[in-house]
Amino acid sequence: MHCRILPSLAALCCPAAAYAAPVTIDLRGPDGAVLTDAVVMVEVPGARADALRGPFVMEQKAIAFQPHVLVVPVGASVSFPNRDTVRHHVYSFSKAKKFDLKLYGREDQRSIVFGTAGIVMLGCNIHDSMSGVIVVSATPYAAKVNGAGRVTFDVPAGSATVRVWSPSIRAAGNSLSQSITIPSAGFATTYTIRR
Amino acid sequence: MGLRRLRFRTLGRKLAILYAGLFALTLALLGVTAQALIRSHARASVQAELAASGSVYDGLWSLRAKTLTASADVVTRDFGFRAAVASGDRQTIASALATLSTRAGVERVMLVEPDGAVIGATDALGPLLASLPGRLQAGQRDAVIVSGARVYRAIVTPVLAPMEIGWVMFVIPLDAKEMRGLERLSAIPLTATMLRRDAAGHWVAADGSVRANADLDRLVATSHTTRALAMLSLPSGAAYALVKPLAGAGGDDRAALLIRYPLSAALAPYLPLQIGLGLTGLAGIIAMMFASFRLARSIGRPIAALDAAARALEEGARTEVAVEGDDEIARLASSFNRMSAGIVEREHRITHLAFHDSLTGLPNRVAFRQALDQALGRGLRAGEQVAVLCLDLDGFKGVNDTLGHPIGDALLRDIGAILAGLVTDGLVSRLGGDEYAVILQGRFDPDRPRVLAQAILDRIGQPMLTEGHQIATGCSIGIAIGPGDGADPDALLKNADLALYGAKRDGRGVFRFFEAALDAAARQRRQLELDLREALRSGQFRLNFQPIFDLKANRIGGFEALLRWQHPTRGEVGPTEFIPVAEDTGLIVSIGEWVLHEACRHAAAWPDHVRVAVNVSPLQFRSSGFETMIFQALARSGLAPNRLEVEITESVFLEGADTVLNLLHRLRAMGIRIALDDFGTGYSSLSYLRSFPFDKIKIDRSFVTSVADDASSAAIIRAIVDLAGALHMETTAEGVEDGDQLARLRGQGCGSIQGYFFSRPVESDAVGGLLKQSFSQAA
Repeated sequence: MHCRILPSLAALCCPAAAYAAPVTIDLRGPDGAVLTDAVVMVEVPGARADALRGPFVMEQKAIAFQPHVLVVPVGASVSFPNRDTVRHHVYSFSKAKKFDLKLYGREDQRSIVFGTAGIVMLGCNIHDSMSGVIVVSATPYAAKVNGAGRVTFDVPAGSATVRVWSPSIRAAGNSLSQSITIPSAGFATTYTIRR
Repeated sequence: MGLRRLRFRTLGRKLAILYAGLFALTLALLGVTAQALIRSHARASVQAELAASGSVYDGLWSLRAKTLTASADVVTRDFGFRAAVASGDRQTIASALATLSTRAGVERVMLVEPDGAVIGATDALGPLLASLPGRLQAGQRDAVIVSGARVYRAIVTPVLAPMEIGWVMFVIPLDAKEMRGLERLSAIPLTATMLRRDAAGHWVAADGSVRANADLDRLVATSHTTRALAMLSLPSGAAYALVKPLAGAGGDDRAALLIRYPLSAALAPYLPLQIGLGLTGLAGIIAMMFASFRLARSIGRPIAALDAAARALEEGARTEVAVEGDDEIARLASSFNRMSAGIVEREHRITHLAFHDSLTGLPNRVAFRQALDQALGRGLRAGEQVAVLCLDLDGFKGVNDTLGHPIGDALLRDIGAILAGLVTDGLVSRLGGDEYAVILQGRFDPDRPRVLAQAILDRIGQPMLTEGHQIATGCSIGIAIGPGDGADPDALLKNADLALYGAKRDGRGVFRFFEAALDAAARQRRQLELDLREALRSGQFRLNFQPIFDLKANRIGGFEALLRWQHPTRGEVGPTEFIPVAEDTGLIVSIGEWVLHEACRHAAAWPDHVRVAVNVSPLQFRSSGFETMIFQALARSGLAPNRLEVEITESVFLEGADTVLNLLHRLRAMGIRIALDDFGTGYSSLSYLRSFPFDKIKIDRSFVTSVADDASSAAIIRAIVDLAGALHMETTAEGVEDGDQLARLRGQGCGSIQGYFFSRPVESDAVGGLLKQSFSQAA
């Protein structure tokens, strides 16, 4: 099982702002197709995510988690409203956060605080088909790629670590990381996940 | 064809082998067909059985997977178990797995974690199993794994939370026990074997029962595309085989299931049938051989009998074959018997013909000679005499000529019968023609030959009534008595013949005994014959010429050529002695030819008015080449035809006057003169003179000699001369010896004379002188 991120990068030089450089990352799957089911995190030393942003909601709607992938900062409280008429039993066995929301309905308000950075895989003990992901990020530069498989941040220039999470990645924790140096002019690259 | 090359001594063996061979060939073809059908049928049933077993195994294979997956699902869906797996609670996991193992009846159940850790009953398979989930294809839950020589089946169920956080695995060894279980499912005792690849990539049996071979490799390679049954050659014997490939992780071929069924076992149920067919066929061949041999013998035996009979017939034996039934062979046998009888009968007839005369049925000359030989031999030993009577009919030719041959034959038969009746104590034979012979032997009365001969003469002398014709005939008999008159058959018969000749000469109708004098005369005559031949060859003959004086012209008008023979030892031999012998032997023709040529040659040198007269014997005259001969003599000598005068006697007319007259006319047409010699003697008939215009008549010397003394002779000469004159023929008087005769002849008007009075015959070289002298005389 060998998965890596190949940097096929073209760094762009640009007379930029004093502390922030634009970082654009495109993701491609092993077959070369745009990877949409992925979260990119650029970890910059000293930058911490703001936990108070919110609110963060992971709905259970039509026997599915909505959204499928939710990116939250460390310490964020995520509510799990049940919009279905059936009950759900949401759980997570992930190391970042283990929890178990026993059967609850529309009337019940449930929320969980995610205090550890990491990937939290959500399941429903009743509905095997339901699965969701909450990416608990320590860095403020974390986002799910858009429909074109691209994500864009304004990140301070300097050394950083790019971490990509995707269910398609066959590696421990379904994530891969790479150290990069972000020039002040900005950074743009395309990662192709190879099986 | 090979059969044609084979040679059979007997028809029976040939038929037996041919039919049995054909029958055996048919059986062999039937056997081959049956064997092919049996194999095909065995194959079809085994294929059906193997295919069914394969299908059952397929079903079981997937059913097993489903059952185990279901059992595993119960555990892997359990929230507590998932929580234990997620939290890495190994003790809980292991106990859960142990429970699952017991519940599912599978010894080895284990959990593989994403990091490769394996929890549960594990062993050397651990590393292999740890990597298995990663190698499985999407959706694949079932894979065959090979560890060393062992093959296992792994059924994998993921633990979802909701992502895969581990895999529960059932590991089932595909070992001998599993295979035996599979074998028990089949209705037929097939063998199931697990195959794996060896180090070199060849397929081998996991339990070592099948070694690597190309057949097996090919079979496995084609098993994906075809489900057909194949024939696999194994050291243990050929077998029908079916291969089911078992997918490993990633879909690669790691192992395969070989189901086989030995050919011998497949064919075993048919063995009684095959044995039955074989035994039936063998019995059939034996029965066929026996029957065809019997049949062939029933055909062949009569043929062999015919064959043997034909050989016997070939060697001269008289044979018959037994005729059985009425088929073709029986008819052939009947025909053979008839043919054999016919051959024997013809043989008898031929033998009879060889020794008997067909006309009279009497023994013939051959038989006579044999009998005489035997009689003489016995006579010599016993001191007895043998008498031979030779008998010849008198005037038989006249009977034939006047009454025809059928009457002549009837007469000969009658004579034969008469002789056979008269001769009770001897053997009568017909020697040929009208000649018969009688042999008397044993102790006969010395007077018996004479008495018998007289009795025969008396009996045959009486007129006989033959075929309604009264025939008066007679016979002459010559008798010779051996061994005095001849010790061997030829001599005795010859002497009897001589005696017969003597009897004929003595007036016919008599018998004569052989006398030594007769023999001497005959011997002398034979010597004369030999001498004549020699004379003709060595030129002992010469011609003398006697002038013929023409009384009217008073000169020599011609010469008569006369033959002279100067015998080397006997001196001059007279024509009267040798001419009869020459006539008897036919030598006269050759001698006559010589005379004619010689006479013409001499005459050609004479004056033109001088002719040459040549005597022609009746025998010579009748010979076929006579006309040609005269022509050649004239042509060779250059003599004018009218200077040649041919003298014939009346006797030429005795044998058919018409042909003689035709010949005379033709000679006349050539210009040759014809003279009638010796006129007035013998059968002289005036009708000859009327029928042919002779040029000359020669008056016989008997009249001339007495012409002067005897008035009657003179009158005859006068009559002849007048007759000739009236018929415009010349006359010549022969034998004129004195002047009186000449005067009388001249007085009677005779045209020419010939005789000593004028000149003896002279040598050819004296002719010239004589001609001159004649002129002087005339002068």
